[in-house]
Amino acid sequence: MWVFGHTGGGSDLRTQESVFEEIFLVFLVLGTIVGVVVIGYMLYNGWRYRASASDELEDPPVLGELPVGQGGGKKLALSFALSAIIVLSLIVWSYSAVIYVDQGPEMEENMEVEIVGAQFNWDFTYENGETLTDTLVIPEDQLVRFSVTAQTEPRLDVWHTFGVTELRIKADAIPGQTATEWVLADQQGVYLAECFELCGAGHSHMTADVIVVSQEEFDSWYELLSEDPDEAMENIPEPEEN
Amino acid sequence: MAEHSFPPRSSVKRWLVTTNHKDIGILYIVSSLFFFIFGGILALLIRTQLWTSGEFILSGSAFGQAVTAHGLVMVFFFLSPFAFGFANYIVPLQIGADDLAFPRLNALSYWLYFFAGMVFIVSFLQGGTIEAGWTLYAPLNLPAFMPSPGATTAILALLMFVGSVTASTINFIVTIHTHKADGLSLWHLPMFTWSILLTVWMMLIAFAALAAALLILGADHIFGAQYFTATEGGGLLWAHLFWFFGHPEVYIVFFPALGVMLETYQTFTGRRLIGRKWVILAMILVTLQSFLVWMHHMFLTTINLEIKTLMMAMTIGISLPFDLIVFAMIYTLLKGRIRYTTPFLFNFGALLLFILGGITGVFLGAIVLDYEFRGTYWVVAHFHYVMFAGGTALIGGLYYWWPKITGKMYNEFLGKLHFGIYFIGFNLLYFSMFLSWEMPRRVFTYHTGLETYNQMATIGGIILGASFLIMFYNLYTSYLSGPDAPDNPWEYSRTAEWATSSPPPLENFEGVPTYRNGFLEFEDRNAVADGGHVEHGHEPGRHPDHASWWPVTISFAGFLMLIGLAGLGEHFAYELLFIGGAAFVLLSAIGWGLEDFYAPEPLRGAKWPFDGVHKNKFGMWVFLASDIVIFGAFIGAYVFIRWGYGWEAWQNVPAESLPGLVNTFVLLTSSFTVILALVYAQRGNRRGVIAGLLATIGFAFTFMLIKSWEWNFLLPEAETLPEAVTMLVTLDFDVLFHTEGPAIDASIMHSTYYVTTGLHAIHVLIGVVALGYLAWRAWAHNAYIDGNERPVENVGLYWHFVDIAWVFLFPLFYII
Amino acid sequence: MASIKLYFAVYVALLILAVTKVIFIEFFEYWTAVGAILVSAFTKSALIAYYFQHLREEPRAISWLVLISLAAVLLLAAAATYSIT
Ligand code: HEM
Ligand SMILES: [Cu+2]
Ligand SMILES: [Cu+2]
Repeated sequence: MWVFGHTGGGSDLRTQESVFEEIFLVFLVLGTIVGVVVIGYMLYNGWRYRASASDELEDPPVLGELPVGQGGGKKLALSFALSAIIVLSLIVWSYSAVIYVDQGPEMEENMEVEIVGAQFNWDFTYENGETLTDTLVIPEDQLVRFSVTAQTEPRLDVWHTFGVTELRIKADAIPGQTATEWVLADQQGVYLAECFELCGAGHSHMTADVIVVSQEEFDSWYELLSEDPDEAMENIPEPEEN
Repeated sequence: MAEHSFPPRSSVKRWLVTTNHKDIGILYIVSSLFFFIFGGILALLIRTQLWTSGEFILSGSAFGQAVTAHGLVMVFFFLSPFAFGFANYIVPLQIGADDLAFPRLNALSYWLYFFAGMVFIVSFLQGGTIEAGWTLYAPLNLPAFMPSPGATTAILALLMFVGSVTASTINFIVTIHTHKADGLSLWHLPMFTWSILLTVWMMLIAFAALAAALLILGADHIFGAQYFTATEGGGLLWAHLFWFFGHPEVYIVFFPALGVMLETYQTFTGRRLIGRKWVILAMILVTLQSFLVWMHHMFLTTINLEIKTLMMAMTIGISLPFDLIVFAMIYTLLKGRIRYTTPFLFNFGALLLFILGGITGVFLGAIVLDYEFRGTYWVVAHFHYVMFAGGTALIGGLYYWWPKITGKMYNEFLGKLHFGIYFIGFNLLYFSMFLSWEMPRRVFTYHTGLETYNQMATIGGIILGASFLIMFYNLYTSYLSGPDAPDNPWEYSRTAEWATSSPPPLENFEGVPTYRNGFLEFEDRNAVADGGHVEHGHEPGRHPDHASWWPVTISFAGFLMLIGLAGLGEHFAYELLFIGGAAFVLLSAIGWGLEDFYAPEPLRGAKWPFDGVHKNKFGMWVFLASDIVIFGAFIGAYVFIRWGYGWEAWQNVPAESLPGLVNTFVLLTSSFTVILALVYAQRGNRRGVIAGLLATIGFAFTFMLIKSWEWNFLLPEAETLPEAVTMLVTLDFDVLFHTEGPAIDASIMHSTYYVTTGLHAIHVLIGVVALGYLAWRAWAHNAYIDGNERPVENVGLYWHFVDIAWVFLFPLFYII
Repeated sequence: MASIKLYFAVYVALLILAVTKVIFIEFFEYWTAVGAILVSAFTKSALIAYYFQHLREEPRAISWLVLISLAAVLLLAAAATYSIT
């Protein structure tokens, strides 16, 4: 497979967006072609054989006959085989990305963040044990691994789904289960995290900001977070315009 | 009730008591259209809220209720019942039967559906209905998150609906397999009947799984069991149970529509179906495969990659037979003389929509893409394109069979106008959803960039809704003053419903339909009857019954009981309602049992592969098959949760296995005595029958006593045996769960133990009622020794099944 | 029509099989016992279905009906449990 061969190092690292966009594009193009051909063919024949323009039927069906079919199996088999090949090859091809998307690239350095959903907030806990609510700060171009779940203590919470559309990441947050997800953000900016599983009256408002900043800026902020959490939470770094 | 006392259609009473399949079909269609309007109003509320990106007319909670109720109403109370209105009306006509196999049960199905809908409506009035989405994900679906009794009421409404579906399933499976006209083999069934046959086979297993899920959910709600709150996998357990039902369900609502399409594509092109054999095989394949893909709704959960891969492969596998079916329909157009009447326009349009929905489904089948689409409007757009394509075909079906059902023609111009506006509105509404696919589902506010698409969708929704005003106007005027319809208004139609008058007479055809010579012929009814009543299954001198008050009575009683059950502990009135309702159910069930309702079985006809099985016994086996799935799902839930908990860390609730072992002996012995009763019935030995039945009842009570001692709630409270029995029979909930023994909510181990053995205990109690009825009839009426021992046999089949269930529960909950 | 004698023989076999379950768990290693107990339970069910519910006298299709629903629900239990391993 031409794109997913190397996932090991440096320049071949792919973000989730680029994997998704590529597969989506291929599906979209082929799907559109198939759709246009099939629907076009159907409309054409629907028009061509309209009653006012067609000949008398030979051997028309009569009321009360035992239901039987009409021949024409060969054409059927052929178009069926063709569409099956398209569908199967698309899926097999897309599958080759699943492992990469599931496990993420291998990188020497990475950081981990624990995400816990609870009606109706997202908590982000860093490796240093500090927790931010509804705001996540991560460095640009670094692999960040998430473990995602929903709150169980002190009170059992419900099923949520954590997702950031623009970064093309998503994971179910289920009480008692831990899902994993990763992100490699290659653009600084503020991204919107949303909840994608109905979780109650506040579901629509269960959003968070994911703030991607440069590595240096992140490092200094993270240091502050370890030393003076309150101060760090007051001074969330801002992404650079680009 | 004799035939002459069957009231005419102009009388209200007729519609309350009728058991005739055509009447029931009309009732289904009318009620489902009512729910269509109800669900449609909810949809318009949703779309109005989404007109702007910010707060508007609905609160978050009201919006949650609206989307949940919209989904449940449309899927359960509109689409399937609408399709089954046609199934009721048309299938017996297509196969040449007088009626369904169990007409009275059919009326019960309808009334259970109707009152289930009423229970659901009541749930709105009790502080709000359930708001967890139609998928009812756990643990949001529990009282901890939705404390109003309305949520419980909604779940009970669904449970009642499942009861209705189960009865229908049994009825249709038995009818289609054993009530076909002579010479009409399975292979030659018309495509609509084929699609209904496969639909009910899917329903048999899928709805049993839903029944199990809802029963467990009900136990969590009402008795405080802990299944879906268990952090050992409660949420996933719901997802598995729901989607094991839910995926087949999407085909269950689609297949009847597919059947309509396959009929109309033939009728309005004047061509027979291309590759008919392959289409049927493809549909059978879909039926089987529909149970192998459910985890494609769970790709984003924590299930392992191996199973996801397998499910992905199966999902793609299942799109291939659909491919074939679509191509077969398209090729049927070729060389035809296509007449774009209203029914065909709708069906032609339905296929266009379905193709779009199918292609976008393939996107979802690819795991990597699904990760992103999950929970977004892409899914919403996809399933509306496929499911509502089904709805589109069914609306075509309404126009197609309208002349047959009412005997009136509708206005063709208005019909076409309806289609035109409908089709524009549909695509504006749902295609906009593809464009706004990045938006999460079920949110009532969203970010402003998506406003344009949402407003397009809202406008589309209004257009779509408005198009139905034309339909209702058209049908209304047609019904009142439309021109009379001929028997067969459609050139090139082939199936038997067009070979009788519009509307058909009570017994469907003037003569007895037969295909013995390879085409439809009618034999003189009297000649057939004179040639021996046996030929057509009539008992000498008896006419089939067509009316009974019991279906509506039982269902109404059930309505009262469930409303009461939902509010137990809320208010004294609920308790009263529950107890009164339960007694009413029991009494009307007895009334049903005592009523002598006669529905003949055709002895001649194509029955392979179920030749020689009496319809009652066949029905019992179909019921048992669904019960196997219910028990199996309970056991599966136990295994799943125990696995999540750590199999060997789990502790069995019963301290020792001896009482369980003794109970095993007791039940096995009762199985032996019930078979003795049957043997004595066959030998015409009255005392033997009575003794066998009474012994069985005795063992059943012994079992229940030991069980209750084990549950450790009863004997410490009761002083005497009669007192114990009374408590047992009245099922005093307070005593049942909150006395000496550890409570049901003590741990997940207790919950699984009490709930699973409780389900079994309810089965035992129902068995006792049935056995008691048999014993009484044997004693008072000398029944069953005159060569008709069937009731003893059928209740015996049930009783042995209760025994088999225990054979598994004992080791699972006591030993290992 | 089967004789009472045959039914009685089946009944006795069922009783014996019931006892085996308790014995297996005492004498075998845990998972072996679980396997043996399940085999015993399925055997008992088959005996009841075949003789007491006289599936042996019915058309084969009735047995298929039962087996299909059994297979479906076993699949549900097995695949669901496997999914979380
Ligand atoms: C080409 C064949 C099809 C494929 C490959 C397919 C695939 C899928 C997948 C993978 C999902 C899960 C999406 C998600 O939630 O992440 C889905 C959802 C759904 N599909 Fe399909 N589908 C197909 C055809 C159909 C048909 C024929 C129907 C019904 C008539 C249908 C009805 C639904 C419904 C109702 C849902 C959404 C349930 C929900 O989450 O509320 N699909 N489909
Ligand atoms: Cu949410
Ligand atoms: Cu599905």
